[in-house]
Amino acid sequence: MRELLDIGLQLAGWFLVILCLASFWIPKALGWKEKLAGLTPLMKELWWTYAIYVWGSHVFFAVMALGHRDWLLGGGGAAAAMAGFICLWWSVRLYLQFFGFDLAEVADTLLNRIAKHLLTLLFMALVIVFGALVAWNLGWIGDGGLG
Amino acid sequence: MKLEIILLRIAGLMCLGLVVANFVGAKRMKYAASLEKSGPIVRQIFYVHCAYIVMLILGLAVLCLGWPELLLSDGMGRVVCLFFGLFWAIRVVVQLTYYDKKLRAAERGWDFFFLGVFGSLAIIFTLGGL
Repeated sequence: MRELLDIGLQLAGWFLVILCLASFWIPKALGWKEKLAGLTPLMKELWWTYAIYVWGSHVFFAVMALGHRDWLLGGGGAAAAMAGFICLWWSVRLYLQFFGFDLAEVADTLLNRIAKHLLTLLFMALVIVFGALVAWNLGWIGDGGLG
Repeated sequence: MKLEIILLRIAGLMCLGLVVANFVGAKRMKYAASLEKSGPIVRQIFYVHCAYIVMLILGLAVLCLGWPELLLSDGMGRVVCLFFGLFWAIRVVVQLTYYDKKLRAAERGWDFFFLGVFGSLAIIFTLGGL
């Protein structure tokens, strides 16, 4: 089980790296520059500040998943809490993917449709990996458990 | 009680204050009216990002108030501490270099207040991580 979770974490980490790199394409794909033109300077500043902080959090999750797998699989309360927080983060994002966003104004191109489905699959996978990690660290599955 | 624990608990209270300030700020700065001029996707992404930032700060507040020793106990706790040290230090730089100078001048009292809060958080978490 530990080996499986380790592989899951590595995959999650690399897919998060791809997500972080692909995020540079989102402003262009969704036409943020034109759509933000009507906002006040403060709202524009807040927009970019929030966007960069959310992106920074994704980079941090990628670093955790790739660089600190032993700690995340260590069976401690802190590891369970961290995995739980990341699982909650992606669960909320998965919920928003289905019920939160009105994508009517996004161009219905093949590329955008593929991107949307890939993102949905990624969010599902991240919820499963980090959810399993919580269960492992709490001793609910495998031979993990609070150390 | 160790000084580091006390400082992290104070940081937790500051973070709780920032969570509340996000809601007060949204009303005071008329986020909803400002966003009316934009399309639905801009509004939705803005509120989603805003909610995620609040969730992150709230999670940090809970950690600092409930389990500050986790942030000091092992190598990873200290890595998380340093991450948040950097997180708040960048927020100070953003406020000083990116935010509209006219608005900051018009709200000078709040500008200094939030610079103080973000600066204190940067110092506390950096010291906790070292």
